[in-house]
Amino acid sequence: MKILTLNCGSSSVKYQLIETSTGEKIAKGAVERIGMAQSILSISTSKGKSKKITKEILDHTMAIDGILQLMIDKELKVISSYDAIDAVGHRVVHGGEEFKASCLITNEVKEKIKENFKLAPLHNPPNLRGIEAAQRVLSDKPHVAVFDTAFHSTMPEHSYIYPIPYIFYKKYKIRRYGFHGSSHRYVFSRLKNFYDKDLKDLKVITAHIGNGASMCAIKDGVSVDTSMGFTPLEGLVMGTRSGDIDPALILYIMELQELSKQEADSLLNKHSGLIGISGISSDVRDLEEEIQNNNYRAKLALDIYCYRIRKYVGAYAAAMGGVDALVFTAGVGENSSYVRKKVCDGLEFMGIELDDEKNNERSKKERKISTDKSRVDVFVIPTDEEYIIAIDTEKIVKETKE
Amino acid sequence: MKQNLVAILGTGTIAQGIAMTVARNALDVIMYDESEENLKEALKGIEFAIDREIEKWGMTESEKRAVLSRIETTTVKADLANAAIFFESKGKTEEEKKELISNLDFISDSDALLIMTTTTISVTEVSKVLRDPSRLIGLHFIHPVYKVPIVEVVKGLKTSKETVLRTKQFLSDLGREYIEVFEYPGYVTTRVILPLLNEAMHVLMEGLASAEDIDKAIRLGYDMSMGPLALADYIGLDYILEWLESLFKELGEPKFRPCPLLRKLVREEKLGIKTGEGFFKYDKEGKRVEK
Repeated sequence: MKILTLNCGSSSVKYQLIETSTGEKIAKGAVERIGMAQSILSISTSKGKSKKITKEILDHTMAIDGILQLMIDKELKVISSYDAIDAVGHRVVHGGEEFKASCLITNEVKEKIKENFKLAPLHNPPNLRGIEAAQRVLSDKPHVAVFDTAFHSTMPEHSYIYPIPYIFYKKYKIRRYGFHGSSHRYVFSRLKNFYDKDLKDLKVITAHIGNGASMCAIKDGVSVDTSMGFTPLEGLVMGTRSGDIDPALILYIMELQELSKQEADSLLNKHSGLIGISGISSDVRDLEEEIQNNNYRAKLALDIYCYRIRKYVGAYAAAMGGVDALVFTAGVGENSSYVRKKVCDGLEFMGIELDDEKNNERSKKERKISTDKSRVDVFVIPTDEEYIIAIDTEKIVKETKE
Repeated sequence: MKQNLVAILGTGTIAQGIAMTVARNALDVIMYDESEENLKEALKGIEFAIDREIEKWGMTESEKRAVLSRIETTTVKADLANAAIFFESKGKTEEEKKELISNLDFISDSDALLIMTTTTISVTEVSKVLRDPSRLIGLHFIHPVYKVPIVEVVKGLKTSKETVLRTKQFLSDLGREYIEVFEYPGYVTTRVILPLLNEAMHVLMEGLASAEDIDKAIRLGYDMSMGPLALADYIGLDYILEWLESLFKELGEPKFRPCPLLRKLVREEKLGIKTGEGFFKYDKEGKRVEK
């Protein structure tokens, strides 16, 4: 099946056209700066062709229309007509408690996504706008929603209930939801290439370390805990987000500097994490470079960053009563041997032994980077959230047809 | 007509605040004034306000670049022609506003939304210069515009439902709350706050308590983030005097008669934060200097 995957942000749409039988990414690209005078529409195809167009794209409908126009472009020859697209898969950030798996988008589903606006005010509204735009342009195709939170819906209560008055959960659904679900699920599923046994028999910790970062404990084949919480602010130290802090800090700082709610929110989400500690950059690569120049705060920032990941490795091993595999993925997880090394150093006691040579190897391939005698296998597995969206969409379309 | 282009006539603090708010919400802005110098000052003012926001963690350097890149300036009115929304925030008198709005009548697309910022000037009166008076609506912002989430929507007698709806949608897009008010001097916000400020000044003048203590009592007693005297300094004492005089004249109510202490401070050019002194003293960055 040919599935078009869409990931709609407030002013961007990322897309891929995937042939699910082979996994081939026939075309991918993005529309950026939607709503501005000069929007950028780009495409690159598996046959090595690419194109970039700058034009006025005022809304998501025009953006998706533009994407489809490019696909039937005579030079690029991605597809001959819209008929070649079998279905559309949409990334939706927040599924709330209702959506425990991907589903066919009906009016009722859209209503529920709307109800979750208050849980994800930055993400769900553009996601829904994208769905409505795509349904307008491709009205005769099935559309499927794939939720970032769905993979974590298997967490037990003791993982997702916060120790605050229970009424906040009952009344407002305040609980841990977790994010990056498709990524954690994807890299976990790829372990089938490394083990003969059923993956359900493994205790796995996945670390999605990118601009945003979260970890996940996977036992019996399902997520049992994850580091992001009610919002993507909790857990690991990130590029510009603080992750876990003493919650009283923010009340204290708000009073100290007379900050408004918006300023406090921006302080924790945009000025904290690596950029906040280092004062240099939110990008791990820049900090690694600065460490070469003996920059104290760059080193401190990465020390704190890696220490937090290491603590979560320990915590999740304890939570699951052991660990068989640790997987690194996403921008930093896939590319920074420095971070991986620093996380794993000192974890030999629990059976984690990195093979330095394998760790330092630069590759885009899925690979094991622990030594042969390491009791815990450590992997680098490039993530592919779009693939999850595509195969879920295919599965649901087939089920619906039956 | 470019749906995402907002034209702003004027360079004062309210115009600057509108420009910053609009650009922060990913819309393009074109600011007009006949003086190149005023436009430069306005851009400086916006940059200063953004820097203050960054200091208070409210914005980031990259957001600053994005906002500034979306604001253009011009001294040629015809350059505004493509805008979908026009803000007139330049005229100080009814006559000035009428002239500017009648200019816009000819420059703008007939579907474009015309907004005048106002505290006391009548939308109905100004709209008379338009061929289609239903296009004009008034908005009353509170300084600093980029921070204060509430806007008063002022309908003229001829303002159409469609204009009101579009304006409300636009305000929602900017993340603003609004209330609809009838055309009446001072609307809600100015009319309700002024007697409080004026009374606090009387209490100070009568020697009942010190400025610090008056503010402390009201702040803590009624859970306000700022005391009335600090708030007056923040708004600008010259503005407060001007509004009180205007409401006193329009409504004839003694509660709007400006406190003599206010007149004295304004005469001495102690206008509040912007001049470094009002009821309290401030450093160059506008921070309170403790006694």
